[in-house]
Amino acid sequence: MSVGPDAPAPGAGPFAGLRIWWTMLVISIEERLVYRGDFALGTLMRFLPIVTQVFLWTAVFSATSRGDIAGYSRNDIVAYYLLTMLSRAFSSMPGLATGIARSIRDGSIKKFLVQPVDYVSFLFASRIAHKLVYYVVAAAPFALVFFVCRSFFPPLPDAMTVAAFGAALGLSFLLGFFLEATLGMLGFWFLEISSLVFGYMLVQYLLSGHMFPIDMLAGIPSGIPGTSLADVVSWLPFQFTAYFPAAVWLGKIQGAELGRMLLVEAGWVVVLAIGCRFAWRRGTRRYSAFGG
Amino acid sequence: MTRYLSILGTFARACLVRDLTFRANFILECLTSLGWMSMNLAFYLLVFTFTPEIGRNTGWTREPFFAFVATGLIINAIVQALFIPSAEELTELVRTGGLDAVLVKPLDAQFLLSLHRVDFSALANGIVGIALLAWAVARFAVPPPPVAWVLYPLLIVCGVAILYALVIMLAAATIHLGRNQSLYDFWFYITNFSRYPAEIYSGPWGSPLRALCTFVIPILLVVNVPARAIAQPLTGAAWWAIGGTVLAAVAALIVSRLVFQRSLTRYRSASS
Amino acid sequence: MAAVFTYTHQMHNAAVAVGKAGPLTQPVTQPVIQVAGLAKEYRVFDKPEGLSASVRALFHRQSRLVEAVRGVDLEVGRGEFVALLGPNGAGKTTLLKILSGIITPTRGAATVLGHVPWERADDFRRRFALVMGQRNQLWWDLPAAESFRLHQEIYRIEPTRFARTRDELVDLLGVRKLILQPVRELSLGERMKLELVASLLHEPEVLFLDEPTIGLDVVAQHTIHAFLRHVQEERRMTVILTTHYMKDVAALCKRLVVITGGEILYDGSLAEIVDRFTTHKIVTLDLDAEPDPARIARLGFPCEVRGPRVVLRIDRTRIADALPELLRDAGVLDVSVEDVPLEEIVAELFRSAARRSQAEEATP
Repeated sequence: MSVGPDAPAPGAGPFAGLRIWWTMLVISIEERLVYRGDFALGTLMRFLPIVTQVFLWTAVFSATSRGDIAGYSRNDIVAYYLLTMLSRAFSSMPGLATGIARSIRDGSIKKFLVQPVDYVSFLFASRIAHKLVYYVVAAAPFALVFFVCRSFFPPLPDAMTVAAFGAALGLSFLLGFFLEATLGMLGFWFLEISSLVFGYMLVQYLLSGHMFPIDMLAGIPSGIPGTSLADVVSWLPFQFTAYFPAAVWLGKIQGAELGRMLLVEAGWVVVLAIGCRFAWRRGTRRYSAFGG
Repeated sequence: MTRYLSILGTFARACLVRDLTFRANFILECLTSLGWMSMNLAFYLLVFTFTPEIGRNTGWTREPFFAFVATGLIINAIVQALFIPSAEELTELVRTGGLDAVLVKPLDAQFLLSLHRVDFSALANGIVGIALLAWAVARFAVPPPPVAWVLYPLLIVCGVAILYALVIMLAAATIHLGRNQSLYDFWFYITNFSRYPAEIYSGPWGSPLRALCTFVIPILLVVNVPARAIAQPLTGAAWWAIGGTVLAAVAALIVSRLVFQRSLTRYRSASS
Repeated sequence: MAAVFTYTHQMHNAAVAVGKAGPLTQPVTQPVIQVAGLAKEYRVFDKPEGLSASVRALFHRQSRLVEAVRGVDLEVGRGEFVALLGPNGAGKTTLLKILSGIITPTRGAATVLGHVPWERADDFRRRFALVMGQRNQLWWDLPAAESFRLHQEIYRIEPTRFARTRDELVDLLGVRKLILQPVRELSLGERMKLELVASLLHEPEVLFLDEPTIGLDVVAQHTIHAFLRHVQEERRMTVILTTHYMKDVAALCKRLVVITGGEILYDGSLAEIVDRFTTHKIVTLDLDAEPDPARIARLGFPCEVRGPRVVLRIDRTRIADALPELLRDAGVLDVSVEDVPLEEIVAELFRSAARRSQAEEATP
């Protein structure tokens, strides 16, 4: 990505922000279009691993006599995977943490210390721009796949559920952003954060719901008596990046539980946003102390 | 022939020296691949809490399934250690014009381009695979017959050969197109289909896919046939599959070499 | 300004026949490198600029045909040191790549040491070497000594011979201390010297050098020039050197091939090019005082005045007459008579070629 933390920091002013966004948007689109053969195909290709998983679960169901696993029928699982693709389209922040760490390491972060532009806001704006571009170019492939697979989905949920789904998606974007941004800020203290990022990605892989719905952990006891692994995970931030919006749409989380989890998600967003800001303040102070 | 072997030895030695110099990085890479693999194993264990078998009457109960996974680990470790690193570097070589230097040497270009980089950290998964295989086989209701132990290494080699042929053809595409967006991504998507036993591909959509991946791009032969040789009874159909796999491996190597040679004649070379 | 040597149809067929027959022991009279009607064309896709162009490019890409080499004829005998001089994009590197077998030409024939280069026979590749400036053939992470050893294995060089050649070359270039350091830690000049050593370890009969001194400092250039002169003479290697530096040419070669736009403009000796393409000489007068402009103008020759120094361009045929008159015109402290610098001659060659091709493009 040529746009992002390394792009030249613009001056201040009310329209400067808008101009940045527009320029970044245009550049990002151009960048994507250069690889003309790749972009539409690339988006479709990302659905391929789901095909394998669907066949796997179908085989699992055929071997058992149960109608559902942890409350999910076979069709539910297909719908679930497709919906996690959607939630991950909102929450994934590729290269954010490593990009921040890199600009700390090579010194290009200095210009943000000097110029009157807030680094975190800048990153936030550029991520929104990226996402917008991504949605524009990915909308068609996504729509195609969802349309073709519409028979796997349960009937459309009620307005409340749809609203909750929308809220969950929006929050997952914020959560994903602040999670990775805070991780990247650790670059002020650790020279190489790649091990940290790796650890984070591993945990994400397992606990975000990317591989399987978290409900499936309900049968596994956690260390804490009286709770299952699923209960513990429901308090952690990871599941909100993939599992939560999907489960909401499918109606697997209702009523009070839904309200609680939305609150937990919002809580995490606030905590991480504050943490990110705190890390930035402390980190830049430390950085300047060392002369950069 | 011995010349090629000794040159290969020099390459391997150079790569090992480099890996050991950047020791921390090497260990991190080993841990990375082990980490991903453990996550997947955890997932499989979770699946088996819900079902005793993958697919109805396929024979892939828990221990045979893990033998399958182990086979996949071993084969992929070999390919990722020996061939993928060089193939990934090929994009760079084509971009910078370093490929020119390779073509000028009195050495087979395919040999040089397949093997000059070796990634020892990828072998970590292979070692775990061997351990996993031992664990799984020890728990089989019926231990595999001696002939299975002869067939197994042979079929592993065939599986590696088929994957190698695929790598070479992707490399040829890189040379021809002058760039490859990301070889590794493409590789992931292709090999993703062979993660599970072929029996999962059934039904109106599954069966054609299974046929495609067995007879046209034979990736389903790579892990399935050796795994079945060791974990499932050796029926008549199994022997046909074994014979077919050996033939497929040979054919794949020949075809890939022809494709590769062809791409070299159309090589454009970066501008100076 | 066609090529000096014309290539007859007969010799063309002979070259092709030789190429097809495979490696032969070379009779002494046979040229080492024979090129006839060689051409190479590329189809290049234009990169779109701007948003709307990018979208359009999704559906249809503009392409054009680039003729990197257009019908080149060339003959090089054993032991010759030939400079291939041309501006960037002239086709000289493409020509070199065809002769080393890296790319296949679109048309025409060529043989090097009796082989057709793009068939890439192992026997052929063992007998020549290619060195490209600013491009590393040594293994980046290894010390050069390891690369040399790898070289020995690849080229099957007999151990004692290898050791002797290596020591000789390393000492000639004074890089003995450097061969144990990883190559990535060395400077450009040092790396170039090691590249040259590596390329000569297998004692090739033909050496292709592609801009070997580019980016190097003057001292390094000088050392490399001396080295190349020495080894070429000693081993009777046939060398083709591409460059756009006149310095390389003047220091190393007797024969110059000027190439631009994929075509050879001139092929002959350095001395000849001066004779053929210049009509005048440059006379520099150092006077004891600032000259009177009127007097200078009266001389009637185009000139340049720099303080007490006057630089005149005088027609060759008139020098014998003009000089005494100039010297008589008092106040001359020093005089020198020189040929037009080679750079100028060559630059003028390029300019007139460019003018010609523009005219060709203009005519329908």
